[in-house]
Amino acid sequence: MAPSSSKAASPPPAARRGAGAPAAGVALVALAAATLPLVTRDSYYLDVATTILMNLTLTMSFRLQVSTGQINMAHISFMGIGAYASALLVTRVGLSFWATLWIGALVAAALAVPIGSVALRVSGPYYFLITFAFSEVVRLVFNNFLEGWFGGPSGLVGIPKPDRLLGLAFEGKLELYGLMAVLCVGVALAFVRLEYSRFGLTASAIRQADLLAETLGVDVFRYKLTTFVLGSFVAGLAGVFFAHFRQVLHSSDFGLEPMVLLVVFTVIGGTGSVWGPVVGTVLMTIAGELLRELHHYEILVFGAVLILTMLWAPEGLVALPATVRRLLRMRRSKDARAMGVGLAP
Amino acid sequence: MLLELRGVSRRFGGLQAVADLSMTVARSAIHGLIGPNGAGKSTVFNLITGVIPLTTGQIFFKGDRTSGLRPSEICRRGIARTFQATTLFREYTVLQNVLVAAHLAAAPGLASALFWSRAYREREQRARERGQALLDGLGLGSVAGRVAGTLPHRDQKALALAMVLATGAELVILDEPMAGLAEQEKAETTSVLRRLRGDGVTVLLVEHDMKAVMGVCDTVTVLDHGLRIAEGTPREIQTNPAVIEAYLGAEEPGA
Amino acid sequence: MSIDLLVQALLNGFGLAMVYVLVALGLTLIFSILEIINFAHGEFYMLGGYVTYYVYALFGLNYFATLGLAIVTVGLAGVVAERLIFHDLRGKALNAFIVSLGLLWVMQAGAQLAFGVLDKPVPSAFSGIVRMLGLVISLERLVVTVCAIVLIVGLYLFLRLSRPGRAMRAVAQDADVAALQGVNIEAVSALGFGVGCALAGGAGGLLAPLFAVSPAMGALPVVKAFIIIIVGGMGSLPGAVLGGLLLGGVEGLGTLFMGSAAVNILGFLMVIVVLLVRPRGLVGGA
Repeated sequence: MAPSSSKAASPPPAARRGAGAPAAGVALVALAAATLPLVTRDSYYLDVATTILMNLTLTMSFRLQVSTGQINMAHISFMGIGAYASALLVTRVGLSFWATLWIGALVAAALAVPIGSVALRVSGPYYFLITFAFSEVVRLVFNNFLEGWFGGPSGLVGIPKPDRLLGLAFEGKLELYGLMAVLCVGVALAFVRLEYSRFGLTASAIRQADLLAETLGVDVFRYKLTTFVLGSFVAGLAGVFFAHFRQVLHSSDFGLEPMVLLVVFTVIGGTGSVWGPVVGTVLMTIAGELLRELHHYEILVFGAVLILTMLWAPEGLVALPATVRRLLRMRRSKDARAMGVGLAP
Repeated sequence: MLLELRGVSRRFGGLQAVADLSMTVARSAIHGLIGPNGAGKSTVFNLITGVIPLTTGQIFFKGDRTSGLRPSEICRRGIARTFQATTLFREYTVLQNVLVAAHLAAAPGLASALFWSRAYREREQRARERGQALLDGLGLGSVAGRVAGTLPHRDQKALALAMVLATGAELVILDEPMAGLAEQEKAETTSVLRRLRGDGVTVLLVEHDMKAVMGVCDTVTVLDHGLRIAEGTPREIQTNPAVIEAYLGAEEPGA
Repeated sequence: MSIDLLVQALLNGFGLAMVYVLVALGLTLIFSILEIINFAHGEFYMLGGYVTYYVYALFGLNYFATLGLAIVTVGLAGVVAERLIFHDLRGKALNAFIVSLGLLWVMQAGAQLAFGVLDKPVPSAFSGIVRMLGLVISLERLVVTVCAIVLIVGLYLFLRLSRPGRAMRAVAQDADVAALQGVNIEAVSALGFGVGCALAGGAGGLLAPLFAVSPAMGALPVVKAFIIIIVGGMGSLPGAVLGGLLLGGVEGLGTLFMGSAAVNILGFLMVIVVLLVRPRGLVGGA
């Protein structure tokens, strides 16, 4: 089938595994995050940057699940679970944010175990649909049930900012930005480590051929459930931060629209690499902000960009150099064939 | 006796794919499973490796029951298989494919994957070395860095075999290991199989090339329409009238 | 709780569900032929609604003629969308999902820019009530339900009896085999997509007088359609009808016991149950 030429095809990003480059990548992200406050203290830019970092934790954790072949449309629900859990624990029980940060994430992870076990009974498009159904159920619960707790359609208000930690106050945009940056870099480091370890190797193998992996001794269900629960833990972390950053929660924050944005950011960036979500989230959030002035045109342009990117660069932006190289190579071989030159044996 | 099937059957709706099959596979043997198309051979493999559940009967490996276990658990007990349609992790390199299969040899959990201790790194290094050695032994050493999806057919089949061996399985189940190979390549595969037997690995294979089967197998079991119709040495099978009749109209046993 | 009230609620649920079945049929048709899920499907429904608004409400053409026009126009729009965007995405579900999302945004923002954001009411085509078997049914709803059923039957006959319809069924069953038998896959894909969108457009035209038209009107029906085809079985047309009846019945009864906002949760719970017990759906095939 494939010509037995001696030149190997360029491996896709996922095939390259080593320890050096990824660590440098995380350092780069950390550096970028650290230098921003030196460039500007403008609260608008800090807000956007904080949102980008928050979305990054969400897309990176979403992508972890995608690497095993799962498109988990309930990912945002676990963000919501963490958010509401922390908000309620702080406002009703009086716990400190610094405790509820972890408790909220743990609650999300704990709920992810039964939900994931159920959802993973099916696969492919059915998994996509069942997680979507779960996410709607969770959103409807937040919106219409237990109004005394979740605030009903009007939402939950009056969530305080994080309390002091070791004397440092977290009232200002800068401190909150710093907190999110630390969380995000920590999460990125963990995911990069995972990706380039045996865990990541096996996860992507599962995506490529899950039956083969299973018959080679890989407990596929356990891997998938682990990524589901771990991803949900991180989503819960992001949710807790979100609750005390925005100070208001509404069920629509955890519905289809923001979930879809997460999927878009991740896929546009490229799901084949742990850096795809980074590229996608940063570029698309900035693009969204730049286009915001155009109101309806913003969405129009966004939509057109989506269509074109998926048609022309289906592996995502992070794989753009490889895509371009491939197109050039195809063009070159087409020209070569046209000139009567055959492929080398 | 390494593997034992007792009264195994499998029904798909109205179709009886395998009917009351009992057979054993002896240690360090090369055991062939043959039969006309649709005889149920691949189904037997799927039953042994846990890919599909049994309708009736039981399967024992090394004296322990394996029927009803998950495929990954069965693999961990020591059975590994290839697929009729050569299945690989096509986006990965050859070495990466082998490393995934060697999962059993260096199985860390989440913690070591996150923290990359010295012990973890050493285990990974050793796994890579062992993988490379395995590939060298099968003639794939030079293509260890190539993406699996770009390999020619014979190398893909060799890689599938390498992955099975990387699991450290004691019983290796091969589904048509010679399909699509040229004569020379078949001879190479045969010598590899003999080498495995010498190393103490047991081989159970399905193959349509009768000459190859008769040439390499110690024992042959013949299936037809889900039933076992004969079992014995290649010589005995070739002269068995029931076998000859089963193949009439399909293919000729022997040359 | 009287039986009459129960039956009334059921009928209301069914009647509305039949229109959602139209949307679901379009979606499942596209899925069975192209193996992709078109998230922008609700936007074609919306298009049908706007055609009805402009041609019937403003221009004054006869309602049924307008309906026919809506069906044809939206069908053509579907063919254009397939040729320009979807035809290469056969089988690539994730990419098609993102692309259809992009299309959704383009169409919705386009509608907001072209038609304005506000709801536009469409006058009822029929007024009055009908008394049947001790029940009270609004004539309008009756006509809508009957039209929906007519379209469903029409689709069934089209797929069963006409050549293009049979070609579509062949491709839905096994595209490779159909190609070997000489079926033009490209043409069938375009036609199938067009027919699917046409059904959605028709549904939009049918519900426009009941609910008014707005750029976001496609969101709810498409969600209902998804629920229906998951319950009934993706790619199965009788499944869509069965799923619609089930959803209509459950939601109709549900409104008697819980608020209309909370009723929505029932459909999703149905989805979860079905996906766990019988992922292929009630009538789902291979």
